[in-house]
Order: sequence, then structure tokens, then C-alpha cells
Amino acid sequence: MTDQHIESHSSVKQWAASAGHHNDPAEVREQRLRILAAFCARVEKQPDELVAFCILRKKATGEQFLSVKRRETINNWLEEFTAEQGWAGKQAVVNANVVRSFLIHNGVLIQGPVWRG
Amino acid sequence: MEFKQVVGNRRTIRFFDPNRPVEEEKIQVMLEAANRASRAVNADFAKAIVCYRDELSDEVREAMKTPTSTVQIDLAPVTIFWYGDTSFVNGAQGRLKELVDLGALPVTHGWTHAYVDNLVYPQVLEPMSKDQIATVWAVSVETGLAIAQAMLAGVDEGLGVGLHAFNAAGVKDVLKVPDHWVPMWILLVGYPAEDAKGGGQRPRRALSDSFYRGQYGNPWQEIPETTERLKREGMIQEPMPADASQRRAEIRQLAERFGLPL
Repeated sequence: MTDQHIESHSSVKQWAASAGHHNDPAEVREQRLRILAAFCARVEKQPDELVAFCILRKKATGEQFLSVKRRETINNWLEEFTAEQGWAGKQAVVNANVVRSFLIHNGVLIQGPVWRG
Repeated sequence: MEFKQVVGNRRTIRFFDPNRPVEEEKIQVMLEAANRASRAVNADFAKAIVCYRDELSDEVREAMKTPTSTVQIDLAPVTIFWYGDTSFVNGAQGRLKELVDLGALPVTHGWTHAYVDNLVYPQVLEPMSKDQIATVWAVSVETGLAIAQAMLAGVDEGLGVGLHAFNAAGVKDVLKVPDHWVPMWILLVGYPAEDAKGGGQRPRRALSDSFYRGQYGNPWQEIPETTERLKREGMIQEPMPADASQRRAEIRQLAERFGLPL
């Protein structure tokens, strides 16, 4: 998935608009998109599908809810992904949180480790 | 610190300095404040397990974390798990009679050993203890009083505090929580990494929106001079400004420090 391609997804547009990415330098924006695109490729999901993956419906009522288990799965995937990328220390935390930022700005509350160094 | 200043200074702190240790003495002050809280039947409703983050095993720390709590738990050096004890009725008779003997429950108000033995215990407390809704209601209210005092004591000690929900099922086994304890909240404790005033007091509605005189529908009328006094004495402080640019800049700085998402 190219950076241009990933930008066309509505969830990615929502992320950029909500987080105010238009104010950031081009290289920062591109780096974020690269990380998201690589993660999406790793888990074989389009960005919109990644958001949808976290949202389930209650069988009884059809009501939507954010799945704790699905978000745990995302966190596990992120842990594997950062290790595969060879990221460590603060870089691992920051880059994994790029993906979490994408989810957060699409209404998925998700938290991961903090850099305490 | 003056009481009104303590009440006015309290904020829910979400950014703690993760590497600044919290003195055990200050935690003890908080626990003693909880221990001194008003409580029905002089029972120890409030129970707490104090966890120092860096003393926990990986197993316990992982069990505490959820996708909605990891940041706070990682940042706060201390987490106090609060529970309410549903076995509060055990020993209630003896405790009440002790209060009668001490004169805390005075005969002028009708209190005697006979009243405790023949009415309060068999007709009120025992049936209440068998009513799950009544029990959880009583335990929740009473534990809340204790938690509030602990929280304010923490602020008085210069600490930051924040109450949150937690994954009670996840930690029950690792913390060895008894079955008769009902989970309440976790109280995160540490020194604030953010502005201790959190950018200003959170928006609150006027007293007349929630409080009434004589009957519902007759709103409490504020006395302007008293409101002004409370501002001078620190209970009422500057609210968070509508222009949140300064707060947003602070959050950006904290996010960069801790590697958090923005």
C-alpha cells in the first residue's frame, strides 16, 4: 500500500483532520503514513478495516461496542510489529503510538506502553 | 494547606512523573485519612491494596493493564485498589454497643444496648446484609467517603491523584482479593508531571442546578459574598480557559516526553 493510496481511506482522512496533521511538516506526515501502511500490510487489513476490527455488535441488541479483546489483539500485533521492525526504546513506543493515534482519532480508545526513560 | 485550598486544588491528574518516588509516609497519611472517614455502624467498609508499580511482578503489572488503562498505570508510581467489604455487618452489634458505652451514641437520642440487640441488629442490619442491592449501595457510599478523604489527604501532601475504573476480574487473583470485597475504583497517586492545577478548575454548574432549599424546584440561592470568599480562600479557582491552546501545548510536550499518541 503506497502512502498516497493509504491517504485515500476515509479513516486516514479522519485521522489527519482530527489530529490537525496539515500543520505538520511533510516528512513527519509521510513518516506517520509509512508506519500505518506498514502495520496495515503486516496485519493484512486496510485502515478502515482496522478501525472496524475494534468495533463489534452485541448479539442481543445489535448495539455497537468497542471490544477490549480486539484492542488487546491490536496491542499484541503492535508489539510483534515493533520487534520485527527492529525498533527499541522510545522509538518503539512512539512508532507504535502512531498506529494508536490513528485508532484514537477514529473513536477507538486504546492505550499502550509509556516511555519512562 | 487550608482545607478549602485542598478541595480547590484537587484535579484528576493523568500525567504523573513516573520516576519520582512517592514516600510511604504520604501514602500512610492518605490511608489514615480514609480510616478516619465517617462510617455507618463503625464498620471498616473501605479496604485497599496499595501497589507500588516498581515492586510489582510482571505478572501482576500485566494483569492490571487493559487497553484503556495502560498509560495511567505505567505513569503512576502508586496504584491504590479500593474495595468495599460486604461483610460489614459482622461485629456490628459489638461495635454499636461500644459506641453506646463511650457515649458516642447517646441515650438522649434513644441509644441503649437493648435497642441495638433487639431492634437495630435483628430488624435493620441483618436483613440489610442479606439484601444484595442494599449491601452494595451501603458499601459503595461508605467506601466513597473514605476514598474522598484519602484523595484530599494526598492533595494536601502535595501529591497528584486520579480515580479510575479498573479491570477487577483481571487483578482479583493476582492481588488475592477476598470474595466478599466489591471492587470500587483505583486511585492513582504520584507527583504530577503536568501542571498540578491541570490548567484550571474543570467546568462546574452553578449550585442552583443541583442543590435546593426546602424542596426540589426551589434552587439554592448563592450568597455572592460567600462565593467571593471561597474564591479568595482557594476553593473556587480560575476555570480552564475556553481557549485551550496553552493546555494543548502542555499536552503536546507531555506526549513528546512519554512517547504518547497525539
